[in-house]
Amino acid sequence: MTAKINKQDAYRRAVEKSTRFISYAMLTAFAVTFLLPLYWMFTGSFKLQTVTMAVPPEFFPAHPTLENWTRLFTGPWPIFRWVLNSVAVSLLTVVLVLIVSSLTGYGFGKKKFPGSNVLFFILLSTMFLPNQVMLIPLFLLVRYLHLTSTLLGTYFAMAMPMISSPFGIFLIKQFCSTIPDELIDAARIDGASEWQVFTRIILPLLKPALAALSIFTFNQAWNYFMWHMVLATDKFQYTIPVGVSIISRTPAIGKMLTDIGITMAGGSFGAVFMIGLFVAFQQYFIRGITFGAVKE
Amino acid sequence: MTNIKTLAKEIRRGWTGYLFIAPGYLAFIAFMLLPILFAISLSFYKVSFNLEARQFAGFGQYAILFKDPIFKQALLNTINYTLVIVPATIFISLVVALLIDPLGPRSQSFFRGAFYLPGVAGGVVLSVVYLWIFNPTYGLMNYLLGLFGIKPILWLATAPYSFWAVCLVVLTFTIGQPIILFLAGLAGISQDMLDAATVDGASDLQRTFYIRLPMLRPVLLFVLATQTIQVFQLWEVIFMVTGGGPFNSSTSLVYLIYQTAFIGGNYGKASAIGVVLMVIIMIFTLAQLKFWKQTDV
Repeated sequence: MTAKINKQDAYRRAVEKSTRFISYAMLTAFAVTFLLPLYWMFTGSFKLQTVTMAVPPEFFPAHPTLENWTRLFTGPWPIFRWVLNSVAVSLLTVVLVLIVSSLTGYGFGKKKFPGSNVLFFILLSTMFLPNQVMLIPLFLLVRYLHLTSTLLGTYFAMAMPMISSPFGIFLIKQFCSTIPDELIDAARIDGASEWQVFTRIILPLLKPALAALSIFTFNQAWNYFMWHMVLATDKFQYTIPVGVSIISRTPAIGKMLTDIGITMAGGSFGAVFMIGLFVAFQQYFIRGITFGAVKE
Repeated sequence: MTNIKTLAKEIRRGWTGYLFIAPGYLAFIAFMLLPILFAISLSFYKVSFNLEARQFAGFGQYAILFKDPIFKQALLNTINYTLVIVPATIFISLVVALLIDPLGPRSQSFFRGAFYLPGVAGGVVLSVVYLWIFNPTYGLMNYLLGLFGIKPILWLATAPYSFWAVCLVVLTFTIGQPIILFLAGLAGISQDMLDAATVDGASDLQRTFYIRLPMLRPVLLFVLATQTIQVFQLWEVIFMVTGGGPFNSSTSLVYLIYQTAFIGGNYGKASAIGVVLMVIIMIFTLAQLKFWKQTDV
């Protein structure tokens, strides 16, 4: 009897072991396929132009060169300025979104006032609208106000369509509704003003939600390509995605061909900042994505 | 009369609420609501660069639009992109999530991060690499296909390959987000239920089909909705990789909006395309909502 059970156990363990092996193999195959473009870009940035066009392709750079990177750093492109622009626009967007979302989210989540449901419904109904529709009027507005004539104006213009984030307000409202009313009432009885309740009680409790919202917004603002592309008119206004796209469209000197090496270096340079941020704050990225979609 | 009085009283009592929502709501009105309304009104005008010189055209813009073969092509492509990319994204990310789920916490976070990485890098960066990968003579794609005896394909210069090239690029960075969502959903399934099924003799495959997948339904519907809306707005990859070509075979509605407004200066027509897209997305969202309510998730 025991022998039979042992045999069954051994069988089951063998099955488990082989399924685990198969799933690891399949996962690795998937991961390799999906990460191949990024690998190709990073290794490509260390290849000479002749090597980038070699057939069969070189899967690992046999003679790595820093030529592309030196040309990128010393060339006509103000790439550090582009990163600075991207960081400035994304940070400005994050700050504005945090202020707007926390105040408005708290107002809708905890305050009772006539019309709140209707006002919130109007806000929420725009969450899924294609934002390209409003970019045309906003573009005309920016042009009318000559916002892009100054640096600060350009940054603000680039942040503009994201400031009133229905997603952010929705997220904070949901989060606020989990805060017990007793906490607020007790503070009010102790003599705290409305503003003190918000800054001393609500904001500290909102920290995890605000952290996730910050990272999520930062990434979105960083990749808001169409709007940056439309607004930036000279190369000192480019954000890094715009810059990368322009590099990729500039042929090698004296040739009709795309300069693959420098394009890959530019792409890697543009990606490395966001990837570093992701590696450092992975849990916040993930919380930003799963908030609202999955019950916790 | 008393009603108005009590309402006035309530409004006065709720003044702090209005104060708290005011900054955000004013920003919402200024930067979203008014622009959307303005775009709708703009769609009834003929505009060429100069807004002052606009001419009222009524529904004329829409009439022209629906006779325009390029618009029809863009509309059809947008629907086709959605029909290809969304199911492919959901299928791949679901399979990957089911494979990651049983692993230990460290491998879980490693693989989850790995699949999200292309999404973090962004569409522009990926498009730049794919331009090289799709090169007909020295691109990686044709080389790899060549190993299987497939003849070189002019990926970006011939239809329908340009369409499929765009789909491939987009797929690389859309699967990350659903994987994270599915994993969160899978982690929420009670272990007791799965254990009970094991005791009853259910195999792992049976547990997946009869417990995990049905339990994932709410997440699945959420992913379906968000992915569809995202793909409806597909633009940057087309801009970077194919330019909508050849002969508009890979163009999309949003790419057409970009071209019409920001290259052609035809703000009225571009707004009209935008309104059409908005209506499509609205109908889709409402249908989804109805479906959610019916299936009562």
